[in-house]
Amino acid sequence: MRIYGYISILMVISLFCLEASGKTEEVIPQAPVFCGAAVSVDLAGPVMKAVGTRFDQLECGARLNFRDHYFPVCELGIGESDREGRTNNNKFHARAPYFRVGMDYNVNKKHNGNRMFIGLRYAFTSFSYDFKDPDFSDPVWQVSESGLSLSGQSARMQWIEACLGFETKLWSFLRLGWTIRFKKPVHKKFPEQGDPYYVPGFGKYGNSTFGGTCNLIFDVGRTSKKMNKK
Amino acid sequence: MLCLALIGCEGIDCTLNNVVLCHYSFYGSQSGSLVTLTDTLTVTAAGTDSVLYNKGAGITGVDLPMSYFADVDTLVFTLSGDGYGTRSTIRVEKTNVEHYESPDCPTTMFHYLTGVSFASTVMDSVVIRRAEVNYLQDENIRVYFHTDGD
Repeated sequence: MRIYGYISILMVISLFCLEASGKTEEVIPQAPVFCGAAVSVDLAGPVMKAVGTRFDQLECGARLNFRDHYFPVCELGIGESDREGRTNNNKFHARAPYFRVGMDYNVNKKHNGNRMFIGLRYAFTSFSYDFKDPDFSDPVWQVSESGLSLSGQSARMQWIEACLGFETKLWSFLRLGWTIRFKKPVHKKFPEQGDPYYVPGFGKYGNSTFGGTCNLIFDVGRTSKKMNKK
Repeated sequence: MLCLALIGCEGIDCTLNNVVLCHYSFYGSQSGSLVTLTDTLTVTAAGTDSVLYNKGAGITGVDLPMSYFADVDTLVFTLSGDGYGTRSTIRVEKTNVEHYESPDCPTTMFHYLTGVSFASTVMDSVVIRRAEVNYLQDENIRVYFHTDGD
């Protein structure tokens, strides 16, 4: 969660930058219908992996740009969690891909390279996970059998994400963006033994959760600069 | 405020009531209503030296743990009074399902009752009321005792 805290601070800073740059913009050019495409990689995941958080992900995405306002998006990634209990010897492991499709809407009417997004995603994953409790034993009947090892527990989940994002141009075709996301499961199929601790792409499983990304974005095709020259 | 909302520590969020017990309620065979045992009840697990319930009196039911790995539990109910005693046996068939919540939480075993039988001179019948034995401490098994007039 601390990572998301840093990201949210950067988001607020970028909001100020967006407003400050907007004050000098007076003429709003008409954007063409198709303004290009972009690919992105999430920088937050590798940082989370490097600092050893409870779970992490490697994620990339691609999107189209229509009128500099409508951005159909698809994202895919690999989420991983390798976790031991803090007060016991339980172990949980999951590693699986996840997918998202959706749409962002840029609410900044000026085509100055800065964007503020609101968006929606539909996301899904199908994964298996392992749960081990080496100390699992019958406390009362005290039979010799002990230890619990559940491998390859199969699970599926679909969820929606409501996104708020900020994005600014660093250089030519290079952009930096942040999103914060509210995630809500809409369909799930978990084993009868229990709910998974972590769902790839979703995060720690619960009725809802927050997440975020910090994206390095590469514009492909028309950039905002070319668009402004039209 | 947004930043403050996002920065936080993760607590250990486990179910507080994480004890799995099978609840047996005692009923009178004639009245069909709950009865209070006036004798002293002790319940042991057959085949082990485990005492599951020790010398309870004036009770209308007991909560008993189930075995984690066996498909059948055989319980010995010993009722003792002033100068007498009687032993009854209840045999509970079940399936066992491991249950976990998070790596931080204790793992436990849920059960699903599939059948029950008994051998007794003081019991009239034994029936399953709720087959799922889990964190919900609800009535699972009804034991009907012979009452006056039977």
